[in-house]
Amino acid sequence: MAIEITRPGKYSLILSTPVMPAAGTLGFGDDYRALLDYDKLGAMVTNPVTIDPWRPASGTRIVALDAGVLAHTGLPNPGLAHVISQYRRAWANMPIPVILHLVALSVSHIKRALDLIDEVDEIAAVELGLRDDISQPEAVALVEAASRMEKPLLARLPFYESSQLALPIADAGVDALVLTAAPRGTARDNHTGRLVSGRVYGPLVKPIILRLVGRLRREIPAEIPVIAAGGIHSPQDARDYIDAGAIAVQVDTATWAQPRMLERIARDLGGWIATRQKDALSDEWNPDMGQTEAIERRPNPPQGVNPKQAGDGFR
Amino acid sequence: MKETQAYIERIKRVNRGYQRLDLAVDKSLASMLAGQAMLVRAIDKDYDVERWDPYLRELWFPVETPASNIIVVERPARRHYSPGQLLSIIGPIGKAFRFRQKLRNILLIAYNTTPSALLLMLPPLLAKGVGITLVLSGSARRYDTNHLPEEVEVIRADDDLTWSDMVMTLGWADQVFVLVGPGNELTYFGDIMAVLRDRHHDIPANYLFGIIRRDLPCGVGACGACSLNVGRGQKRQCIDGPAFDLTELRLN
Repeated sequence: MAIEITRPGKYSLILSTPVMPAAGTLGFGDDYRALLDYDKLGAMVTNPVTIDPWRPASGTRIVALDAGVLAHTGLPNPGLAHVISQYRRAWANMPIPVILHLVALSVSHIKRALDLIDEVDEIAAVELGLRDDISQPEAVALVEAASRMEKPLLARLPFYESSQLALPIADAGVDALVLTAAPRGTARDNHTGRLVSGRVYGPLVKPIILRLVGRLRREIPAEIPVIAAGGIHSPQDARDYIDAGAIAVQVDTATWAQPRMLERIARDLGGWIATRQKDALSDEWNPDMGQTEAIERRPNPPQGVNPKQAGDGFR
Repeated sequence: MKETQAYIERIKRVNRGYQRLDLAVDKSLASMLAGQAMLVRAIDKDYDVERWDPYLRELWFPVETPASNIIVVERPARRHYSPGQLLSIIGPIGKAFRFRQKLRNILLIAYNTTPSALLLMLPPLLAKGVGITLVLSGSARRYDTNHLPEEVEVIRADDDLTWSDMVMTLGWADQVFVLVGPGNELTYFGDIMAVLRDRHHDIPANYLFGIIRRDLPCGVGACGACSLNVGRGQKRQCIDGPAFDLTELRLN
């Protein structure tokens, strides 16, 4: 199965299955090789990378929540040039495309980054991470600068302003939108007694972002693909996002708690989409689906989701 | 490292505050060395049901490895476990403690925490004739040590981490391993460095080690949550730790 997750154009990204890790969960290279079969995923999205090295956040970085986690790592990374030299070989050996998550700070940073990234064939696409408090003109300027790159460009929208930013950014030249970065929250660290701010992850995030995806899917043109990210912890969660109009999904911290879940979601979603395309019963899906000769057809074959007809639940 | 399943074979109360769990584990875990740990979460027998509370895995350090498929861990007595309970384990995590080749005497310090993460080293070091002193300070003073080997000298220090014969104990030790309570561990390490500098003046490399036990979301070096500043670079607790030379670690 091949799924084009970017809009048609000069540069496109085609995946074998529409499931990938969210930036920040699987590292820069193949750190999870002992626990995951990368071959089962659609793509690898790296941890966020900045042009210059960033040190880890001081103080508490992880606060366990009820059925979730609050994380404030400070996005530690050794800088783009160092990341490329350190992980290039691992990327070359990966059986799946590598999407580099670039933290967008300024147009000059983007320009410096593009000079380095365009030289690296092992990077299949770039996902631009837009900060939470970014203004619309700033976001558009960053995307316009990044779209000069000779690779597909994805933009991960901030949680809070995603509806205002989505259309202008799409017009500025992104090939797909990633909805969204995790929401921010504050929680008390029981070890130190201090309040800690960071991004909130867990199953409860999914209903919030699912609604957002369904709403935005109706508001932006259908040719702009939406990749959903937020709170996916089961195959059904991923299916819900596809039903809401997403072309693909990113799984975040579920992988930390249960590494095999990412693989399970990838296998399930790949098969589910294949059966939908072939009008087959989903429980008859198997990896050799293409060779199946006799499949009982449903009376009303499931249709591909038309975002204009997305259910009321997404409004 | 790999993800395996284990089950709790036996539960034994060892003192007022702690119980020991015998875990039947994959053979790859039974060869764990002192310093290495596991990321553990309980799982349901019905594999189709995934529970997400608690969300993150817990970091468990073995205290004994009595047989090829059994490891023993020490857990607070207030936590409820049942024989037969299934666990999902990612491990081994981290590197083994590095001891000096000609180690004769070692000083272990537990400050405001149970010394469990230090206990796996006791039998092999005692077998080599190494003299072991365990200093318990702060809330660690309440830890009952009757179940530890008799050869281990136990000192209950004052809350300011001082004890009688402190200068002699420090001078006598070839290596010191310090374990502190979770949260603010770098500050505690800084305090301990200051105390030791007062008494020992020069702290050489490969002498004083701090053991970091932060919550580990991934355990494989991917998430960056356990990154530490070391000199000009960064190291990760789950890959390079848990023990770090305190003369190299940036404590602020």
